Amino acid sequence: MTEVIVWNGWIGGLGIGLYVLFQLVVTGKMLGVSSGYCSLCGCFSRATFFIEQKQKEGPLNWRLWFIFGLPLGGLLAAWSSPGDWVAGFSLGKLYDSVFPDALWAKSMVLVVGGLLMGLGARMAGGCTSGHAISGMAMLNPPSIVAAAGFFAGGVFIVQLLFRMVG
Amino acid sequence: MKRIVFLMMGIIFGFLLSRAGATTYDYYARLFLFQDFQLMFIIGTAAAVGMVGVRCIRKYRPSSLLERSPIVLEPKPFTKGLIPGSLMFGIGWGLAGACPGTALVMLGEGKLGALFTIIGLVMGTYIYGILLSRKARASRAEPSEQMTPEIEAKKAG
Repeated sequence: MTEVIVWNGWIGGLGIGLYVLFQLVVTGKMLGVSSGYCSLCGCFSRATFFIEQKQKEGPLNWRLWFIFGLPLGGLLAAWSSPGDWVAGFSLGKLYDSVFPDALWAKSMVLVVGGLLMGLGARMAGGCTSGHAISGMAMLNPPSIVAAAGFFAGGVFIVQLLFRMVG
Repeated sequence: MKRIVFLMMGIIFGFLLSRAGATTYDYYARLFLFQDFQLMFIIGTAAAVGMVGVRCIRKYRPSSLLERSPIVLEPKPFTKGLIPGSLMFGIGWGLAGACPGTALVMLGEGKLGALFTIIGLVMGTYIYGILLSRKARASRAEPSEQMTPEIEAKKAG
């Protein structure tokens, strides 16, 4: 697994907070990632929901360009770290200790995790970036509730997982 | 040109997420096991910095550089799906050890497990879109009291 540099939490948070404001002042758009997956679905789906989403977002389709940039950012972060760029399916020490070793079984868990996030983010109207970071920055009560819900769900499943398997 | 700006934004945000530790699986497990609060510090500090900025923007109403029109802040509305959806999201978050943004960044770092998470994310979003489109069609044919988050959101804002 690629070992990346990790800054102190305060500095990392400061960086992301300043980034949110930078994006807002430059582009006028509030940070949010999960809707980008709607734009992605809109590339191949003709369902009314995705067509309406497309019309709402306008012809620029900025969310799609934004999420294309994310893997490139990861590549840059990995290249600028001292270790080598390593591709692999490892999930780190802790997750690997509770997840099945077989790749097919591990991948199923990850697909289910992704699916719950995709569905849940749309039901809740946002994800960690849109609700927890942007929403809390606006002190928006529904976003604070959502962030608490995200955390509660994560604590529930991870505690369960490590108590049952670990 | 604008598209390149958004691509660059994605690159910067992706880089920062990685440096923040949000692309390191162990931080997720350790957060939910109450062993290490790095990710909570990140979200808390980022939101606090954002709060100060949002106050300034609300007060001075500046224009954005790209749009040349005043920045509009649209807080997300409360919807019926908010609580069940956020809990569901949380379970997925804990299972995958990534969120919708960081899964994409992880892919760039060579953490290939994220590929499956991304497939799941697209599937989940797609299922929601299909279900909602079907529901909207049904309620158009026969108006019912059931409101979807999108319709509620439209009414609220």
